Amino acid sequence: MIQMVNVGYRLGKNTIISGVNLRVNAGDFVCVVGPSGAGKSTLLRLIHMQIFPTQGSIRVADYDAHRIHPREIPYVRRKVGIVFQDFKLLEDRDVYDNVAFALYASGVKRRHIKKRILKILAEVGLSHRRYAMTLELSGGEQQRVAIARALVNEPFVLLADEPTGNLDAESTRDVLGLLKRINTKGTAILMATHKEDLVRELPVHIIRLRHGKVIE
Amino acid sequence: MSRHIMYSVREGMLGFRRAPMATTVSVTIVSITLTLFGLFALLTYNIQQLVNMVRSRMTVEIFIDYDLTDNERMRLEDRIRQVKGVTGLFFISKEEALRRFREDFGDDPLELLGENPLPASFQIQLDPAFRVSGRFQSVMDQLSALDGVDEVVGHNKLFQVVDQYSYAVMLIDSVIFILVLISTVFLVANSLRLTIIAQKRTVQIMELVGATRAFIRRPYLIQGLLQGGIGGAIASLVVWGAVQFVSLRIPNLLTAPLLLLVVPLVMGLLLGLIGSEIGLKRFLPV
Repeated sequence: MIQMVNVGYRLGKNTIISGVNLRVNAGDFVCVVGPSGAGKSTLLRLIHMQIFPTQGSIRVADYDAHRIHPREIPYVRRKVGIVFQDFKLLEDRDVYDNVAFALYASGVKRRHIKKRILKILAEVGLSHRRYAMTLELSGGEQQRVAIARALVNEPFVLLADEPTGNLDAESTRDVLGLLKRINTKGTAILMATHKEDLVRELPVHIIRLRHGKVIE
Repeated sequence: MSRHIMYSVREGMLGFRRAPMATTVSVTIVSITLTLFGLFALLTYNIQQLVNMVRSRMTVEIFIDYDLTDNERMRLEDRIRQVKGVTGLFFISKEEALRRFREDFGDDPLELLGENPLPASFQIQLDPAFRVSGRFQSVMDQLSALDGVDEVVGHNKLFQVVDQYSYAVMLIDSVIFILVLISTVFLVANSLRLTIIAQKRTVQIMELVGATRAFIRRPYLIQGLLQGGIGGAIASLVVWGAVQFVSLRIPNLLTAPLLLLVVPLVMGLLLGLIGSEIGLKRFLPV
């Protein structure tokens, strides 16, 4: 569960977001919609504990953003998967190693790793591409690798920051369909996008953000 | 933990395959720099050895009074041993002196003069610390003042010359040595630091997927250790090869103890680790 109460974030004199209240429960699909600069990415970065609120409180699973020790942050990130518009894949490794890395980092035993990777790659439809280098993949495929990497540790929520921002229409449909399937299996999704028309047809809870404030 | 270590070692080694160009450049810089350092260390060591050898061959000779009895001679021997800086002495009797004279010059003073004119003497060995001109003179003065001593012959002038030149050579050598050492540390550490910085994006992605800092750091430290170690090993081999090459042409010119040959390797390992550590600290504080 994610709970944000009256959260604000200032960077110098600029207020990036303020007074945000948000709750994401298991199985929710929430979309944060707003134009560029509205504070969507900041919201996700706060939940992922890349930055910390200057006002209000955030709880992610059992961790409080104000009280968390820096050494505990990696453990939060294993419970909160994240994908980005630019995929952030390791370009010097193949698909398999990109996903395996997240498991090694979590201390998963070697004998369990292969099984879990094959399972997650099958779920995202990339079993046949597991030995391909990431630069050989299409944008849609790269985003699916990123989703597989984010999900392989079985997080309770997946944060998706403009996951379709770099994709063509067909790949966008694929990725959204995949996110929907993941959500139906119980993983909560919190997606940020500036394209409201993308999510209108999805059975999701929409939060509109403008100038750092929730307007709806 | 052991799973993490295995993973780190594997990833550290895979770093070579993933960034072959950067790694090759880095190892090349490390090996060239450490080779120069190793050769200079070898030169410095041999200059020092040469100076020590010249000094060790300089002895003091004490000629004793011609009519000294055996008892007086033994008492004098005891007093010589008590002089600070004397580590040993060797008695040369009149007869032995005559025998050596005959051997060296072919003439027999006994036949010419009807008696042995050569006095008995002691050859004195000095502590290396006393083989510098100031302290050497003080030993000479103390020995000259002893009863039964006729004359003390040393090579104080030669000591002064050796001191003067060896001091100048060692000073220049030390200054260059320190400059070479600093350049080596800087070049090697910086080269490995740049290799790590080139992988900044990878490190940041690792953080995003929940890797602990220790987990991220370990492969890079191992990679730095390996790169530095390989560069150092190449340098050690080149220095060893240079010693062999010179020794084949001019035997006994150079001495190279094993420790000296291993220095580039050890420095490579150490600087590899330090360089990677500095590189990681830039964007991944502990």
